[in-house]
Formats: sequence, C-alpha cells, structure tokens
Amino acid sequence: MARPSMLRRTIATPLILSALLVAFALVAWLAGSRPFNQTVIDIFLQVIFVVGLYTFVGNSGVISFGHIAFACLGGYVAAWTTIKPMMKGVSMPGLPDWLMQLEIPFWAAAVAGGGFAAFWALVFGAVLMRLSGIAASIATFAMLAMVNSIYSNWTSVTAATSSVVGIPIVRTVWPYLIAAIIVVFIAWAFAISRYGLALRAARDEPTAAAASGVDIPRVRLIAFVISGAIMGAGGALYAHSIGLVTPDTFYLGLTFTTLSMLVVGGIGSLSGAVLGVLILSSLIQGLRWLEAGVQVGASTIALPGGVQEIALGAVMILILMFRPAGIMGNSELTGRIARTEKPGEPGEN
Amino acid sequence: MSLVSLSNVSVRYGRLTAVRGVTFTLAEGEILFITGPNGAGKSSLLRAIAGVTPPAGGRIDFADHDITGRAPEDIARLGLSMVPEGRDVFGSLTIEENLMVGTGMHARERSWKARAANELEAVYATFPILKERRHTQAGLLSGGQQQMLVIGRALMTNPRLVAIDEPSLGLAPNITDQVYERLITLRAERRLTLLIVEQSSTRAMMVGGRMMLMRGGEILLDGDARALGQSEAMQAAYFGYGEH
Repeated sequence: MARPSMLRRTIATPLILSALLVAFALVAWLAGSRPFNQTVIDIFLQVIFVVGLYTFVGNSGVISFGHIAFACLGGYVAAWTTIKPMMKGVSMPGLPDWLMQLEIPFWAAAVAGGGFAAFWALVFGAVLMRLSGIAASIATFAMLAMVNSIYSNWTSVTAATSSVVGIPIVRTVWPYLIAAIIVVFIAWAFAISRYGLALRAARDEPTAAAASGVDIPRVRLIAFVISGAIMGAGGALYAHSIGLVTPDTFYLGLTFTTLSMLVVGGIGSLSGAVLGVLILSSLIQGLRWLEAGVQVGASTIALPGGVQEIALGAVMILILMFRPAGIMGNSELTGRIARTEKPGEPGEN
Repeated sequence: MSLVSLSNVSVRYGRLTAVRGVTFTLAEGEILFITGPNGAGKSSLLRAIAGVTPPAGGRIDFADHDITGRAPEDIARLGLSMVPEGRDVFGSLTIEENLMVGTGMHARERSWKARAANELEAVYATFPILKERRHTQAGLLSGGQQQMLVIGRALMTNPRLVAIDEPSLGLAPNITDQVYERLITLRAERRLTLLIVEQSSTRAMMVGGRMMLMRGGEILLDGDARALGQSEAMQAAYFGYGEH
C-alpha cells in the first residue's frame, strides 16, 4: 500500500520541528529570566503566525499580504471574551449583552478567535480565491487594510485606535509551546492530505492540476480557511502575551516580519517556516544583546544603536542571494541525509 | 454509439481563430491521431475538448454528456483525461504524490484510499521505473520518465478517453518507441480510447488506427492512418501544395 509508506516518510518532519521548539522552551525555563522568557514566547507566537501563513502561501504559491488581518480578528475576540465585564463596559460599551458578560479562559478564547477568523476567511476567501497571482495578493492586502480600518474606527466595540487593556496575561511558555506544536502538526497534516496535495500540484502546474480533476478555487479556499483559523488563534494568544490589543499591533509591521521570515526560511517548506522564525529571531535577539553591551574582561563592548536593523537586512539579503528559494527551499527536514538524485538514468534520455 | 462527438467546434484567441468549425465523432476503443503542421490548431482543439480553453462555438459531447464550456476538472471527472503538451509534471512533488493528485478529489466514498492504492499499483505495473523512483521529486526525472509519469497520472482517474498532446516532443526516438509501446498495451488492456496529437504522421503510420490531418484550423483529411500516410493527397494537404 502506498499511503502508509508516505506517512512514515514524513511524520519525522513535525516531530523534529516540535523537538526544536521544546528545546527552545527548555532553554527559557532553565534560564529563568523574565525578559528571556518573554522572548521565547514571542518566538512561539511568531512560529504560529509564520506556519499559519505557510499553510496557505506555501501550498498555494499565492503570496498573501492579508493574513495578519485574521490575527487582528482573533486578538479582538480575546479582548471581547476574556476582559472583566466591568472593564469592557468602560472601553467597549457597544458590545452586545451576552458578550459583555462573557468571561472565558485564555485557551477557549484562542479557539474562539480561530473560529471567528475561519468564518471570515471563508467569506473573504469565497471571493478572493477566484483570483490568481498578483491580483490575488493585492486583494489580500486590501482585505488587511479593510479590517484595520474597521477596527480603527468602530469605537463602541473595538475602542478605535486606543489600546484595549485588561486582557489576562499568560506568562509561562508552555501554553504557547503547545499551541505552536499543535499548529505545526495541523499544517503538516494539511500539506499531506489530498487537498494539500492537490493544492501543491496546482501551485506547480495549474492547467495540469485542473485536467487531473482539481477544483483550484475550492482547494485554495480550504487552505485559506485553515490558515485563517491558525492566524486567528495566534492573534488571540498574542493578545494574552502582552495583555492589550490595538488595531496597529496587527498591521504592516507584523505583516512584513511574518512574510520575511517565511521567505527566508523557504516559502514552500514547513521546516523552512519554523527555521526561518528560529534563525531570524535568534539573530535579532543576539544583535539586541550586542547593542546593549557585552562584558569582555574589564571593558564593555557595545555595537552602536541601529546596527540590529542593518545587520538583519544584510543577513536576509545574503541568505536570499545564495539560497533564493530560502534556507530550506522546497525540502523538509526528515532526519535523513538527503541522497543526491541523479537527473536521469544513463540511456534514459 | 460514439464516445466523443464534436459538431462545428471553433476556438478563438481574441481575434485569432485557431479552430474553424470542426466536426467529427470518435467511437469507444478507437485510436485517433490528429496530425498537421505547426499552428494547425491541433493543440487548441485538444484543449477545447478537455475544457482548458472553452470553445467559442459549437458543441462537444462526451459519454452522453454535453461538456461544452464545462470546467476541466468536471470533464476529467467524467472520464476524460488530458495529458498537456510539454510534460508538465508537478515538479516539487514526488512521483507518488504526482500520481495521487486528483485521486481523492471526486471520491466521496470512504474507500478512496484503497481504490487509489489499486490504481497506483496498476500504473506501477505498466511503468516499473516509476515505482523504482517513487519518492524522487518529479522535476529531477528525465524527459522520457516525465512523459511516462504524466501518462500514468492521466490513468489514475481510470479514464475512458486519454487525450495526449505531442507525446514524442523532445524525446529520443527509442524513448518515444517505449512510450508508444506502453500506450498500445494500455489501450488493449483497458479498452482505452486514445486521442493523440502529433506533428508528424510517421508515428501514426507505424501504430496504425485512424488519422486526421488538420491545417489552418480545419480538418482536411480523415481516414485510415496507413492508407492516408502513403497517399499523395496527404503530402499535398500537409504542405498546402496546389493552393496557389
């Protein structure tokens, strides 16, 4: 039977990636310092966002600038459902009564945020998935701008551009670690499912995929909804990591960080999505320490401020110069040394 | 009863007319070669039948369904598999993944995996080289192997008709021989109907069957491949002698 052998071959990928994430969490736990703890939480959240983006972009090949909109939807769901009713009454008086009284645990808010984002992904996606190439990308950007504009102006339910505070803060790394691992497994399961397979085929050769019976807009929509749900859950957890949300938390800054981590890691690879985050985040953190100053013997060596951004940009350019398809390209970590494949047997043309 | 019937089908790209009012029928189990010079409209006709380029006019029937203007994925589900020109394998997918694409797409029943595995074994039996390299990325295969893979992929949906656009394009003659050998075996085993576009008539004359000659978007000749291939009318029509 063909199927089980394929499964065995690839389940190593999410297991290896999870092990990497667990290693980061253990380092944070052993270090025990609060700022470092927060850094690792940020890394896990970023893993959720980049893997969520990969689920759609990686499999479909359609670049989306709009996925952070779903994180925004999820983040505000966390605000609506977990802040104390009294505080909600002050900052967001326009909420319906049942929502005003609601107070659910953070993990339930993450699930609800994912569900809410998935619903809107279905609505937007039904229209957007008929587009292709750059038109689709621009339309996703328009969606981001639309969501941002609504959340920046609907004062009575989103408090407009001012911060919504009072979201219960979750400070331990474990819930974020578990969420990131779950997301990695969801993304993996989708990529090897028949819909994931059909979508990746459509990315390589749309005409041939359609001729093989693939309904491209439909499989794209399925990926869009799943990735929207992941982004929504990530947005809710993000809100719980800092305790507040504003519409601009989920706008251009986060969009470009997320996209560039995916591009550096390798757009078509789940391993690339995770490694892109881990490598770039570690680099950013390392440069921050160097900027703050390192004790060498009696003297302190510190890089001038601003080096962090410049060095990060330079590293990204270098990676993309030497590996234009990203660190992982299209391949995945499988725990085996890749065999070099001969392009063809002799005499086989 | 004919499996495919076209009546007065035309294909246009903007103001350019590629196929002008083509009419023919194809019976189940038949093998039909469409030959003709560059730009004759052969590929456009094939693409119209498979639904990739919707026809500008006329009517196409397949297996008692009117498929004019239907989406290619719907037509594929009715049992018409097209192998497009240029062997467009899904380059980043493995051979096995290439073959699995589409197998589950129109199978609502739970047993689709078991059925797909059966189909897979059947394709591997026809093309053992594909089984040998099942976990290789398709983009790394040689031209002949890619051609076998796309034919194998077309067979995975258990089609009644396979339409192939220039299977010999860019292949060494001995590799082309291998590809045709498999096609003929398949036709006998599965009672497949084959519709093959080739630029030259030599292959059709070797294989035998029915042959049509297209030129300028129209069908000029239609008949037995061997008889037609040797006739002077064929050469005249192919090169357009006697029109000036």
